[in-house]
Amino acid sequence: MPFFALKDRLIVTLSTALLGCASIAVSAKTLIVVDQHGSPVNNAVVELLNVTTDRQPTKQIAIMDQVNKQFSPKLLTVMQGQQVSFPNSDDIRHHVYSFSEAKPFELKLYAGTPKAPITFGQAGVVVLGCNIHDSMVGYIYVGQSSAVLVSDEQGKIDLPDHVSEYLLWHPEQAINISERTKMNWPDAHTDMQVTIELVAPMPRNTFGEKFKEHHGQ
Amino acid sequence: MKCFAYAQKLIVVLLLMMGLSACQSTPQSLYQKVGEQAGLERLVDAFINQIGQDEVIFHYFKQTNVSHFRAGFVSHLCDVLGGPCQYDGDSMVQIHTGMHINERDFNHAVDLLIAAMDEVGIAHPVQNQILAKLAPMRSEIIKI
Repeated sequence: MPFFALKDRLIVTLSTALLGCASIAVSAKTLIVVDQHGSPVNNAVVELLNVTTDRQPTKQIAIMDQVNKQFSPKLLTVMQGQQVSFPNSDDIRHHVYSFSEAKPFELKLYAGTPKAPITFGQAGVVVLGCNIHDSMVGYIYVGQSSAVLVSDEQGKIDLPDHVSEYLLWHPEQAINISERTKMNWPDAHTDMQVTIELVAPMPRNTFGEKFKEHHGQ
Repeated sequence: MKCFAYAQKLIVVLLLMMGLSACQSTPQSLYQKVGEQAGLERLVDAFINQIGQDEVIFHYFKQTNVSHFRAGFVSHLCDVLGGPCQYDGDSMVQIHTGMHINERDFNHAVDLLIAAMDEVGIAHPVQNQILAKLAPMRSEIIKI
């Protein structure tokens, strides 16, 4: 019996804690990102403008790994001035490049031969590819501040109360890949839905794509 | 006058003979025998098609950039077969490290290359000379 009492009390405590969390969530604003068909959009990036967050770049080195001939994560958000390390968890070599204005570079990654991290000093969008494996595509979103958020699978992003202006971007957006669309948050709204037009990614220049009729996909 | 004309004729004949012997003393490179740049491109395209329709080694190439592979292999062959190219891509060891290619898959790739050479009409003696040039790279490709 005392055991049950303890369990009850524990549940009460936990519930209170959860309610505490919930009340914070309720007071925040919520953005839902959908595509032109109304489907929720995962991996949409929202960067808050006019925020007072720290603009000093974090010392933490972000990681864009190569795993099973894919970038991992596919989308990385960093802060202007932040360093990114490109390890290679595969046994084979990769040759990572970017032609993006925000940070053009190339990095030959041989297995077991680490390269020094790269500093992303300019805010914007960096599209990553691999010269050897054209199926590999990755993105680094470099924000002006740390106030950069990414939508979940339900297209949902929780935003702080003070949101006013923000930038919206998605890796598959129909408009130019490097363009970040400036949006306004109307006063008095707590929940908003925003539509972003997406396009299917271009087919890649790979053996898999060229000979897909021979290999059943 | 007549003697002079005769001497002239002799010089022409001598020059012609020298020219001919010069041709004979410079054997054709393998690069020339396969039809130079255009011939190599046909060969590599045929090889790419062989790989594309293959079940055994296709998986090594599935995510490979076709243009990158084509340009690299054409340039490498041009260099190895005595053409006017300097291959400056990654070494065979750098390219194949981590792929753990076994003897069976390696031999199968050689068979596909032979099929590609047959397809573009490279004579068998020339094929053998090409394979002899490539054979020393075997240890830089398999089991690494």
